[in-house]
Amino acid sequence: MYLGIDIGSSSSKVAILNARKELAATDVVNMGTGTAGPKAALENALRAAGAAREDIKYIVATGYGRINFGEADQQITEISCHAKGVSHLMKDVETVIDIGGQDAKVIKIGKDGKVKNFVMNEKCAAGTGRFLEVMARVLGCRIEELSDLAERSVHDIPISSVCTVFAESEVISRLASGAAREDVAKGAHNAIAKRIMGMCSRVGYEPLLAMTGGVALNRNMVKLMGIELGQPVIAAPYPQAVGAIGAAVFAYEKSERAAERAAEA
Amino acid sequence: MQEFKESMKALQAAALHPGKTVRLSMRETGREAIGCFPIYTPDEIVYAAGYLPVGMWGGKTQIRLADKYLQGFCCSIMRANMEFGLQGTYDFLKAVIIPAFCDTLKCICENWKVAVPQIPAIPMVYPQNRKLETGFRYLIAELKRVKKEIEGIKGAEISEAELEKAFRIYEEYRAVMRDFVKASAVHPLTVSPVARHLIIKAGFFMDKAKYTALVRGIVEGLQALPEEKCRGVKAVATGLIGEPAELPEIFGENGICIAADDFAQESRQFRVKGREEGSVWEKMAYRTVDQEGCTFLFDEEKPKGRMLIRMTEETGAKAVIVCMMKFCDPEEFDFPVIKEELEAARIPILCLEIDQQMDSFEQIRTRVQSFVEMLNEDVI
Repeated sequence: MYLGIDIGSSSSKVAILNARKELAATDVVNMGTGTAGPKAALENALRAAGAAREDIKYIVATGYGRINFGEADQQITEISCHAKGVSHLMKDVETVIDIGGQDAKVIKIGKDGKVKNFVMNEKCAAGTGRFLEVMARVLGCRIEELSDLAERSVHDIPISSVCTVFAESEVISRLASGAAREDVAKGAHNAIAKRIMGMCSRVGYEPLLAMTGGVALNRNMVKLMGIELGQPVIAAPYPQAVGAIGAAVFAYEKSERAAERAAEA
Repeated sequence: MQEFKESMKALQAAALHPGKTVRLSMRETGREAIGCFPIYTPDEIVYAAGYLPVGMWGGKTQIRLADKYLQGFCCSIMRANMEFGLQGTYDFLKAVIIPAFCDTLKCICENWKVAVPQIPAIPMVYPQNRKLETGFRYLIAELKRVKKEIEGIKGAEISEAELEKAFRIYEEYRAVMRDFVKASAVHPLTVSPVARHLIIKAGFFMDKAKYTALVRGIVEGLQALPEEKCRGVKAVATGLIGEPAELPEIFGENGICIAADDFAQESRQFRVKGREEGSVWEKMAYRTVDQEGCTFLFDEEKPKGRMLIRMTEETGAKAVIVCMMKFCDPEEFDFPVIKEELEAARIPILCLEIDQQMDSFEQIRTRVQSFVEMLNEDVI
C-alpha cells in the first residue's frame, strides 16, 4: 500500500492507495502541523484501510508541515500533489483552485496532472479559509453553517476589504448599521471569489475548473466562484484530502518506478 | 586549491557580520568610513578621498524607531537603514551619500537630516534623462558637487590623480566580479546560490583593493576546476536584492543554480565596464549612461524584459526568478512589462515577494520547490 499525508496549517489529511492504485482510505483530522493531528490521521487511515504500518511501501508527505514529517520517503509540495490528486480523481480538469486554511492557490494542470503554472497567495490570510472562519465567528455561526446562511441572502452587500483584519471591522460596521447576517455572509463569500478571480487572471485559467481544500466543502463558495469566473466550477471529490491523495499517487508511482528499475537491473 | 575555498568562506563570514567586517577594514586600512545608500553612489570619489565606502543595504533588525519616519509600507531596506541610524549603529560613519532613485529615497534624505543629525547626509540626484547631453553634463556636475562635499568633510582637496587611481581600482574590482559571476555559473556545486550572494555582498564592507585580490584568487581557483553540471534548474535571478540569506539558501536546497543575476545589489553594481575615452568624470558618468535594464534608471524603451530573455539564452537558463521587494514601486511597475515579454518567449517565471525583515520562509519554500517540481520532473 502507498500512503500520502498532507499536513496543513489547520488540518492533517491521509490517503492510502492499494496495490491496484485504488483509494483504500482517507482521513481528515482538524489539527495541523505541530499537533497530534498527523499521527491521529495516520492511525485512523491505517485502521480504515485494514492495514498496518508495515504494509505501507512508500510514504510521500506534502503540505506546510511536510518537512517535519520524519517518516516520509519523500516530500513533495502541495501544489504538485493537488494537481496529481485532481488528475487521479477527475478527468479533463485544467485548472485547480485550492483554498486551504491559510493559503490559496490556483494551479494550471496538463496531462497526467503535471503542473503547467501556479500562483499562490502572499503571506496573508486574505482569500483563505481563515477569512471565512473569522467571518463565521463575527456572524455568530459555525463555519459549516456559513454556506447555508449565505444562500438565504436576498441583497448583495459588498465587503470591499479582502484583508481578514480589515474585513472583520467592516462586517461589524455592516451589522451595526442593520445589514442582515445572510447578506453579509454572502458578501464575505463574494470577497473571496473576487480575490481568487484575481489570482486566476494572473495565472490564466481554462475550463474545466475544480475546487479543492477545505473551502470546497462550502457549496455556496463553489457556486459563487463559478459565477465570478463565468465558468462552471466543481468541487473535487474528497476536497480536503485531494493533496493527500495526490501524494499517495506519487508514492505509488515512485515505488513502481523503483521496482521497475530493480527488475531491469 | 584549498586556499580559494578558504577565501570563499572568509568572504561569506564577512558578509554575515557587516559591522565587524567594516571595523576590521577601517583598522587595516586606517580609513574612516562613509556610508553609501542604494542603488548607486560614486564610491570612487569616497575612496579617492581616503575613506572606506560602505554599502548600506539594510539588514535584519527589529524596527522600533524607524516607524516615526518611514511607515510600514516603505521599503524594508530603507526602514532598516533608518532604524540603524536612529539606534546609533552608524555613528562611526563620517557621512552618508543618499541618492534619490525612488520616492522613499527622496524622503529619507530629508528625514535623515532631522533624525540622524550627527551623520551628515550628502544627497545625490542622478538625472532622469541620463542619455541626453544635458543629463550627462548634469550628472558630471552632481559628481563634482559630491566631491566638494566630501572634501568639506575631509578638510582637503581630492586630486584628479587620486580619483583616477580610485577609478582604476574600481574598474579592476568590476572586471574581477564579472569574471566571478561567470565562473560561479559553471561551478554551481562549488559556489552555491547563498555562497555566491554572500561573496558578492562582502565587497560592500571591505577595502576594494583587498577584496578584489581575494575574489581574483577565487576566480582563478574556480577556473582551475572542471566545469560542474547543474543538477536542478538553471535560472536567471532579478530584483532589487536576493536576500535575506535564507532565500538563496532555499534556492540551493531545491537545486536551483544561478546562471546569471540582474540584482541591483549584485551584478548591476559591476556589469557595466567603464569607457576608455574621456576624463575620469566622463568615465564615471558614462557608467550610468551605459547601464541597461536597471529599473531605477529611466529608459523609455523598457529593455529589461528583452535583457532577461537574452541572459537566459546566453546562459542556457530555463527560468527567471523575480525577487520582488515588497512595496518597491519601481520594480513593481516594471514587472507587468517583463512578465508579458518572458511569457511570450515561453520562459517560466517565479515571482517571490520578499521583505528584508521576513522571518517565515515556508510559503517561499513551497513556491520555490513547486517551481522546481514543475520544471524538473526528475525530482518527483
